[in-house]
Amino acid sequence: MKYLLFLAFCISFVFADSYYKKNSGVAPVTNQLYINECGSCHFAYQPGLLPSNAWEKMMSDLSKHFNTDASIDDEDFKLLSKYLDDNSAEKNMHYKRSNRIVSSIKSGQIPNSISETPYMIRKHDEIRKDLITQKEVKGLFNCMACHKTANKGIYSERDILIPNFGKWDD
Amino acid sequence: MKFLLLSALVFNLSFASVVDEYLSSLKEEILKQNPNFKGFDAKRGEKIFTSKHVGKRGKQISCTSCHGINLSASNENLFTGKTIEALSPKVNPKRFTKIKTIKKWMRRNFNDVYNRQGTALEKGDVTTYIINQ
Repeated sequence: MKYLLFLAFCISFVFADSYYKKNSGVAPVTNQLYINECGSCHFAYQPGLLPSNAWEKMMSDLSKHFNTDASIDDEDFKLLSKYLDDNSAEKNMHYKRSNRIVSSIKSGQIPNSISETPYMIRKHDEIRKDLITQKEVKGLFNCMACHKTANKGIYSERDILIPNFGKWDD
Repeated sequence: MKFLLLSALVFNLSFASVVDEYLSSLKEEILKQNPNFKGFDAKRGEKIFTSKHVGKRGKQISCTSCHGINLSASNENLFTGKTIEALSPKVNPKRFTKIKTIKKWMRRNFNDVYNRQGTALEKGDVTTYIINQ
């Protein structure tokens, strides 16, 4: 009996773990100002895709944001910086992707973009370069081009559909 | 129905007032330098909008690179692939309804396409072009 109970106890952990992982991509974006301001030019990346020091670095000169002027007024700057900081990856370690991203960054390193984090590089390194640079995708920054549920914070393999290639099977 | 008409009317008025307010503040600025200023010109605005320049990325682009030639249709950001809704307020009533937003995009987009700030005359001309498309 004791053995059975112990077994049930172990099994419940296995299920809890897989259930938890299945439902944990990255926390979805909830802030309307963020969607309007940052999402008008590109995909509204979830704050949980980078640690706060990387967001801070990115926000430090918005007039040269990836060679584009993305400057905003002081009030919006403060609100957006706070939203990014409050919801950054290291504060969302219970989400699988945030956890993996943070764990992949070497101490002392501050990535310049989400695509530059070791986790993202590793996760995309088997994809043919021309599939990434093709006009339907343009670059790794265009999450929605292949991850059809990226806007919900879900980046699972079954939701990948690469233009001119199809489903991705690892 | 009456309510709809009324709200359409109010909306029209509010659109007109925002864009008029913006244009008249530009006009004021120009009149300080040039007392003979006659008014903004959509034809000059079209040239500003469609001509190519070496922008912030060192690449030849124009406003149409991202907004497209047909301002009544949506287009795609050349660099990110993100959809940009139609710029013409005639088909997209959200356009030109907030001074803060107009100023923000004029500042950013002149920098990106012209690698400098637009003058009051240029901003007035290009606005006049867009709202009449």
